[in-house]
Formats: sequence, C-alpha cells, structure tokens
Amino acid sequence: MWNYIVRRLLYNIPVYLGIILILMALLRFGAADPAYTFLGKNADPGDLEKIRHQLGLDKPFFVQYVQFLWEVLTLNFEQESWGRPGRTVGEMLSTAYIPTLLITVPGLMITATISICVGLISAFNRGRLADRTLMVLAVVGMSVSFLVYIIVGQYYGAFQLKEWVGTEIFAIEGFDLEENGFIAGWLTYCALPVIISVIVAMGYDTRFYRAVMVEESSKDYMVTAKAKGAGRRKVMFVHMLKNAMIPIITRVMTTLPFLIVGSVLLEYYFNIPGMGNRLLGAIFDKDFPVIQAFTAIFAVVFILSNILTDVLYALVDPRVRLQ
Amino acid sequence: MTPKFLRSRGAKKFFKSRLATFSLFVIGIYTAIGIAVLFFDAITVDDTLQRVGPDSTPMIGEQKIEKRLRDADFHLARLESALNKKEEDVENAIANLALAERGISDKPREELKSEVARGWELYDELATQKDDAEFDAFDGKKKELKEQGIDDNEQVQKLAGNAADEAVEALVTSEDFVGSLEELEGIVAALYRPLTGWDATMYNLRRSIGTDRQGRSISIRALFSIKIALQIGVVSALISVIFGSLLGAAAAFYGGLIDHLVVWLYSTFSSIPSLIFLIVISYRFTGTQWESSLLPVYVAFCLTFWIGPCRIVRGEVLKIKELEYVQAATAVGFGKFYILLKHVVPNTMHLMFINFSLLFIGAIKSEVILSFLGLGVKNQPSWGIMIRDSGPEVVNGFFPQLGAATVFMFILVISFNVLSDALQDAFDPKHVS
Repeated sequence: MWNYIVRRLLYNIPVYLGIILILMALLRFGAADPAYTFLGKNADPGDLEKIRHQLGLDKPFFVQYVQFLWEVLTLNFEQESWGRPGRTVGEMLSTAYIPTLLITVPGLMITATISICVGLISAFNRGRLADRTLMVLAVVGMSVSFLVYIIVGQYYGAFQLKEWVGTEIFAIEGFDLEENGFIAGWLTYCALPVIISVIVAMGYDTRFYRAVMVEESSKDYMVTAKAKGAGRRKVMFVHMLKNAMIPIITRVMTTLPFLIVGSVLLEYYFNIPGMGNRLLGAIFDKDFPVIQAFTAIFAVVFILSNILTDVLYALVDPRVRLQ
Repeated sequence: MTPKFLRSRGAKKFFKSRLATFSLFVIGIYTAIGIAVLFFDAITVDDTLQRVGPDSTPMIGEQKIEKRLRDADFHLARLESALNKKEEDVENAIANLALAERGISDKPREELKSEVARGWELYDELATQKDDAEFDAFDGKKKELKEQGIDDNEQVQKLAGNAADEAVEALVTSEDFVGSLEELEGIVAALYRPLTGWDATMYNLRRSIGTDRQGRSISIRALFSIKIALQIGVVSALISVIFGSLLGAAAAFYGGLIDHLVVWLYSTFSSIPSLIFLIVISYRFTGTQWESSLLPVYVAFCLTFWIGPCRIVRGEVLKIKELEYVQAATAVGFGKFYILLKHVVPNTMHLMFINFSLLFIGAIKSEVILSFLGLGVKNQPSWGIMIRDSGPEVVNGFFPQLGAATVFMFILVISFNVLSDALQDAFDPKHVS
C-alpha cells in the first residue's frame, strides 16, 4: 500500500513542476508584462522598475521559478498584494478559504447524497415513466445557464421571499458569521448559495450515477445473484451499490478540487469573501501576486485530491495496487 | 461525412431517433441565423445599439395604458429630433434614425411640426393628469395615515404607494383618458408612413420582446448573440477537437517519449481548473491590442478544451493499434504516418463528433460565464452580456432580457445535449442510455 502511495506521489512531481512552470510562464511572457498591465499605459518608468524589483520580476526566470516553488511548498507567501496594499498574499489566503469551504463542502455532500439516491431510483425504474421524467428533467436542468439559476435564485430565494414572509430568511448578499453566531450566520448567508449549487450540479451528477448503476446492473454477478433467487431490491441496493462504489468515489473525489473553484460565480454574485471571489477581485485589479499564488494553490489542491483519489481507489479495489 | 458514413449502422440508428433529427433541425435554424448575421450582415452591431422604444418596456403580453403613453412619447421625440436638424439634413437624419425602416410621412415640414406640437400638448396634458392623480392620492393617503397616528415610515410609504397606484389605475382606465390617448396615438400614427411588407416585419421583430434599460431591442440583441455563440462554439470546438484528437492519436500510436510527453502535457493542463485557466488567460490579454476581439476567448477555450478529446482518442487508439487491420496494413508495408492518418484516425471519427458536440455546449456555457464576468466578449452583445445587464433589471422585477437570453441559449444548448446523447447512443457502444 505504502509502496503504491509513494509511487503516486513521485509520479505527480513532474506534473506539479509542469503546472507551476506553465502558470508562471503564462503570467509573464506573451502579451504585456504584469507590472505594465497593473499600472497602465501612462506609468512612470521608475514605478514600473520599482514594482518589478519588489516582486523579483527582474530576476532570471529560473530563479523566480525556484523561489516561487519554495513559497508554494512552504505555503509562505510574503509578498504584498498590489490591489490591497498592506496585506500579504498569505494573509488573504488564510482568510479566504473558510467561506469557500463553508459553501462547497455542504454543497458537495448534499449533491452527492441526493443525486446518488435519484440515480438509484432512476436505474431501478429503468425505462419507466419515473426514469424518463427524471432524465428529461436532468437534461433540461443541464441546459440552463448557471447564471440564470443564480440570478433567479437570488431574486426569488432572497428578495421575493422576504416580501412574502415578511422577515429576512436568506440574505441577498454578504457574509458575516460573527453577528448572530455560526449556525444562524451560515443559514442566512450560505444556505441559499448551497441550495443553488446543489440544484445546478444535480443534473450532471444524476445522469452520471444513473449511467453507472445501469452499467453495473447488466454485469454477470447481477445475473448470478438474481439466478440464486435474491430479490430485486436486494440485488439493486446491496450487491450493486457496493460495486458501484468505485465510480462513485472517483466522481466525488474528482469534484473535490472544484469545491474551491466551483463557487467562483456564487461567491462573486453573493459577495462572499472566499477564494474564488478574491481571485476574481485580483483579476479585476490586475493584482499579479495574488493571481499567481491563488492559481498555484488551486493546482496544488487539484493534485492532492488526485493522489487521494488514487489512494482511496486502491483501498476499495485491491487490484489497482498491483498495476 | 461520406455517403458511406451515412449508410453505417450507427448513422441509421442516429437518424431513427426523432428527437435527434429534430434537434439537428433546430441547430440548423440557429446556424442559418448565425450565417445570415455573420456573412450577410442581416443584423449589424449598430442595430443592436439603436433605441427602438421607451426604456425597460416589455412588449410581450397586454399593452398597458402607461406603456402606450410612453411609446407615444418615444415616437414624438424621435420625430422631433429629426425635424430640429437643419433643413437639408432632414432626409439624412431620418435615414439615420433608429428604426430607419419606419419613415416619416410625406407631409410638408411645417405641417409635421405643428402636428408634433399638437401631439406634445396632448401628451403633456395626459402626463400631467396622471402625475397629479398620483401625487394627490399619495399625499392624501399620507395625511390620512398621519391623522390615524401611523408613524412607521416604511408602512406609510407602502400604503401611500398603493393608494397612488390605485388612483392612477382608476384614472387611466377612465373613458376620457383612454379617448385622449387614442387621439394622441392617432396623431402619432399619422406622422409616420404606414409600414408594409419586409419593413413591417423588421419593425415588429425589433419591438417583439421589449427593450432594455437603454431602449435597445432585446430580440435583436438575442438574435445577434446567436452569431457570437456559434462563432465561438464552432471555432474553439473545431480547433480543440482536431488538435486534441490528432495529438492523442499520435501519442498512442507512436508511444514512447511522445506518449509520455502528451500524457504529461494533458495531466498538467487538466490540473488547473478550467474556469480559473479561462479567467487567467483572459486577464493576460487585458491591455493588448486583441483585448476587445474574440481572440482571448478562442485562445482560452482551445487551451482548455483539447484535453478531453486528446484523452479519449488516445485511449481508443491504444486499442485500435492492436487490431488486425492495422497489423495487416503494417504487413503490406505502409508507413506508420500513413496508417495513422488513413486507418486509425478515421476510426475515431465518431468520438470526434461526440466530443465536438460536447465541447460546443461547453464553449457556449463558458462564453456566457466569461462575458458575465466582463472577461469574454466585448463591444458587442452576447447572451452572457445580456444576462449581466439584466442583473439590475431583475431587481426591479423586469424579466424580458434575462428570459430572452435564457430561452435562446436554452434551446441551442438542449438541442446539442440531445444531439450528443443521440450520437453517443448510436456510435459509442460503451454509452448507457
């Protein structure tokens, strides 16, 4: 097992080096240089030099590469943000991840639970009216833009609901956990974005899980189980669900990195100070140090979750370890 | 697509599905509109910027009296602005006006001017009546509430507002008011040439859904956006599918170092979440000469989209290259490159079609998101920009713009969703339906 984990880790090192290389090159070469983009056409050459020197942009690329790798490895980002002077990138990072996780983790868990159930129901009734209705709904749901869910959800879920009920149940925007305590704060500020993210993800996930279950149900062991006289329900929910766990785990794990990113639009629209919102703010401010550090962190999380998926895979299915 | 391809079992299965054929038909209509806009300038960017009516007015559904009043105001103002130009410019000014197809009637200029003045008089009278009724009712209710001792400001505003609405409603439905309004509309109609044929169609089309906050036609903007969506979808999906599949096929077929390199490349690129990657690339183009073109969007999409087809085609080619017909081709003495292009790649065609369809959906959806964030399409309308513009409108309960963008996009995306499902059903034996 350990052997396998170490192999996965070693395998991912070149990928990781490559990501940082591509990101840094992408941010430095090509169009305009970051300091110029930040200060604009009429910038004073002295200022440009100063800002480049401050970030080490005047050093050779290789030196910058090694330095930045070290920063990412130690998670120690000392540079000052350009857009918000006086705050270092590290500080921004450490305050931004909590709101993001508060939206994405519940979102992921609820989505996975509901869509696995719906997928099972759909596969159980394959070809019948219930299955068809659910799948048509899933395709329709997939075809509407994310933005429409957000805008309409905010209008009816926060704005109109307040008019109907008389008190504020979901806040229109903002984020404040201190004022009324954690749970009340979460319900006011995060619950609506979570509901919207669940609705958006349902279509895709339901279709996927249904496909997994339908595929499993045509395998030989299912026929054997049925031949032995196991009831239809038992075959479905005991024999099949266990075997379907592998693709399910993969699916859940591959959506893990999108936990951080997936909520970019939600955070932006509901004005929640999470990672995605900070990154977008940095893009609008042309805040180079923040953009670089945040994208690198996203990549790290992505790779870590990939490794975690592989390990879980090996735990569930011992055959994987030998490959 | 050769006729041979159309005669294949998969193609027959595909065309048997009525839903898939219908979705192809819908996509065909969209493509026709897109081509008409792109190559024949059926709708220009200027068309999408013109004022075609009073601002934030839905034109679908029942025409309320207030809306009719504002419309009369718009038409009077439009004519007056042309008449106030210097003598020789009038023809020009009219031709350059918004809604150019609605010409001004041939009456002599002085007569037109006096008619406009008469129209304004009537309009002012009606508008004053309405405002007076509103203010009187509002103030009256406020006083009444004060006497009753209700002090809560919010409640007072609400109740007084309701009273004012009621008073206006009572006034505008009264026979006198409606009669005067009809007279005003008669004056306005007489000022313009009657519309016939194509002009009338265009005029009705422009005003079919409604206007946004700047009085621009929502229907024209939504139709123009079809071109943007198709352009972005076709260009980025086509480039990424061709590039990605060829790379994947080559990697699997040649193996060795090339394979390692390609696998490393796509695992690296796929480790940066695509939305983040799109955002960063769009950022990199700010401040350059391509900033306001579609180039940043194309680059961003192509750099992220090639991964999917590359991975899938590589997997398929790994299987194909062990098959007998490839061995046979090798035994006959064909070169590796020839076999790859002639025998291997054509057998991954179905995967390319499926991926094209999937990427097309991805491109349209991502374009909307990027444009919404202000990083995508610039200087011309797109569904994303319409949705962004509709944000403040929705707060005021005005939905036509959001609705139009959503419906236009929804129909295209769902057609492609149905199409890719049908393609997968027909050509991909692994796919579960």
